[in-house]
Amino acid sequence: MLASVRTFALLGVEARDVTVEVDVSSGLPSFAVVGLPDAAVRESRERVRAAVQNSGFEFPRTRITASLAPADLRKAGPGFDLAIAAALLGANGALEERALAGTALAAELALDGALRPVPGAVAMAERAARSGVRRIVVAPESAYEAGLPRAVGTAEPIRVVPLERLADLPRLGTEAEPVHTTGAPVLDPPATDGPDLADLRGQPALRDALEVAAAGGHGLLILGPPGAGKSLAARRLPSIMPPLSEEEALEILRVASASGHRPEAGVVRRPFRAPHHTISPAGLVGGGNPPRPGEVTMAHGGVLFLDELGEFSRSALEALRQPLEDGAVTIARVRHSVTLPSRFLLVAASNPCPCGHGEDHPDCRCTPGSARRYRNRISGALADRIDLSLTVEQPSAEALAGGEGEASEAIRGRVAAARAVAGLRQGCPNSGLGPAELRRHARLGRAARAELASGHRRLGLSGRGHDRVLRVARTVADLQGSEEVGSAHVAAALGFRRRGAE
Amino acid sequence: MSRVWTLRSSAADFPGCLRDLEDRAPATLYGVGNRDLVAGIDPDRAVTIVGARRSGAYGRGVAHELAYGAGAAGLVVVSGMALGCDSEAHEGTLAAGGETIAVLANGPDVPYPRSKAELHRRIVRAGGAVVAEQPPGREPEPRFFPERNRIMAALAGTVVIVEGRHRSGTRHTANEAARLGREVGAVPGPVTSSLSELPNELIRDGAAVIRDPQDLLDLGLGVGEVSVRGVGPPLDPALAEALGAVEAGAATCDAVALEAGLEGRPAAVALARLELIGYVAADPLGRYTRTTLAAPPER
Repeated sequence: MLASVRTFALLGVEARDVTVEVDVSSGLPSFAVVGLPDAAVRESRERVRAAVQNSGFEFPRTRITASLAPADLRKAGPGFDLAIAAALLGANGALEERALAGTALAAELALDGALRPVPGAVAMAERAARSGVRRIVVAPESAYEAGLPRAVGTAEPIRVVPLERLADLPRLGTEAEPVHTTGAPVLDPPATDGPDLADLRGQPALRDALEVAAAGGHGLLILGPPGAGKSLAARRLPSIMPPLSEEEALEILRVASASGHRPEAGVVRRPFRAPHHTISPAGLVGGGNPPRPGEVTMAHGGVLFLDELGEFSRSALEALRQPLEDGAVTIARVRHSVTLPSRFLLVAASNPCPCGHGEDHPDCRCTPGSARRYRNRISGALADRIDLSLTVEQPSAEALAGGEGEASEAIRGRVAAARAVAGLRQGCPNSGLGPAELRRHARLGRAARAELASGHRRLGLSGRGHDRVLRVARTVADLQGSEEVGSAHVAAALGFRRRGAE
Repeated sequence: MSRVWTLRSSAADFPGCLRDLEDRAPATLYGVGNRDLVAGIDPDRAVTIVGARRSGAYGRGVAHELAYGAGAAGLVVVSGMALGCDSEAHEGTLAAGGETIAVLANGPDVPYPRSKAELHRRIVRAGGAVVAEQPPGREPEPRFFPERNRIMAALAGTVVIVEGRHRSGTRHTANEAARLGREVGAVPGPVTSSLSELPNELIRDGAAVIRDPQDLLDLGLGVGEVSVRGVGPPLDPALAEALGAVEAGAATCDAVALEAGLEGRPAAVALARLELIGYVAADPLGRYTRTTLAAPPER
């Protein structure tokens, strides 16, 4: 006898349809799983056998073949357990047809028959809605995630059925079928319960650089000794970024769910990721087979903070180029390629020299050569994508004792307005403007042109440096509600420009 | 690459000091970079620093130091962009934020020697100029070098020889300088070094001894006119506040904002403008320091 059910394979952050077919026929007792299963999927035979028996069902002592189609897609992880068990019970006659028709299932099984959550429930529920599935069965822990595509607003309605145990499967399609409804989460709750920029005292220029970075989507490099507030500042950047749209919120949720970070219930926040500098290229941009999202994808929609930029391996920094250019990472494997979203705001921080003191400090132990190489490394890395740079130092005691700065909510209002202006004008943040678009969208007044020309003459601004200054000047003008880019906007951009070699 | 411009001897803006060459004055001077710097050159505020190509660390170091002092004092430094002392003279001027003119023996847009292409660009970018008697695109020929030397000697009122052998192109420049009535200075060196043959000989023949930038300034500007600092344009109140903050030791944008009582963005604007005018300079890490450019007296 034969039965089939629907489930999903997670590829990157997207779910693909998988059909599980189980055939129970006469023959010597055996249990085979075919269709490119990895070790965890092959092991599911043992979990399924134990769970079926411990749930009070009979486990057929005949020849069992489970096939995961399409057969050329590599299947990984324990997420197919429940679907295999359900198809097996269907083939064995323990489940009725109406329980399995139009049903997709995705959960890991414990040996006692309990359902365990699997990553990617958001993407699976979206996929399910698109491929005509009527209900999706998940572990109770996954129910919130599976209801999110509907709650955040876009997907077709499907029933999310949270089941505690395998033994509850016969309730499907009956009156007793449980249903979970996820309430709409709060997008970008006010920063009052999180880190707020008001905490950043005595560093007015750093506050402003953050505001400009958030408004234009510009990469920011903060240079300064340890204790100068670099990471304190970076952590507060998400709180001033523009409010999330539903689409962005869903992308963030999909990534969080697929990478195994269960989304926080009831809210969607922009992510803040701060990988350690020993991270491998694959850890940063994603890798493995099937490909798993890396830090750049987990930072999608939020902030990627690279502390100690000079300590990251060259290969890791090189790997950042594609995500920074394209807003997405493509990982190619022999049979398929996976594209992971990776639009994030880059903030990098670095000490002034390898020992951290700065060369003019009496305790600095660096040689001029090593300090210079370190600097070149910092400025050479990601050169095209860091538009803003600021040198900071530890604020003095008096400065720290001064009053609180402006709170994040007020700054976010200006940032959102500036982003909206840029969006209407060119459909992307100012950081995405190429040289030709810059000429069209960043028109300079006479005084601004003179200021920029003087920048070339006096400061040795290069061609690319010129474009970076223009992009930032455009953002400063947007923040100040000016259509024309004026000389003060150019001067501010020059003040925040990145220094050093191209 | 900037456009090539010309200065014609028939025109009114031809540098007056080149007319000292009388019938040997170049008919046309081609150049790239800051044309006004060349056209308006005041030989009393310009110094030519030249030396051997195959020079020692001594000569290169002294050339750099002399040019730095001259550049910081607001003198225009003229040299030939050759390897060794000449390049160091340009480098020293640039390091001091000064303006420098390179006189080439080929087209002004042809960086020769090739390894100095980057220096060529920086000279132009920093508001200096590269000039030549040869038209754009012309490659150097041996006979062009002595002709080039007469222009270097003529452009400045003071000519300093750093290192050079008895028979050399540097000697030719020194002879031209003497013939044109320029002040000639020489950097003394060990009598056992062939590189010091020329400067030591010039000193014996009456050239001024140049030991440090002060000697050079005394020779070029007259004793007592020490470290003439340039005077910058007047500042609006926000810029003046920011400049005061940098003078008081504020090195970052944050510190300047706090010290001067400005918001973050106006502080960034003020610092950028001060840097553009030349009142402050930033190191590669973006820490601001005060330059030698003097603020105008209070009204």
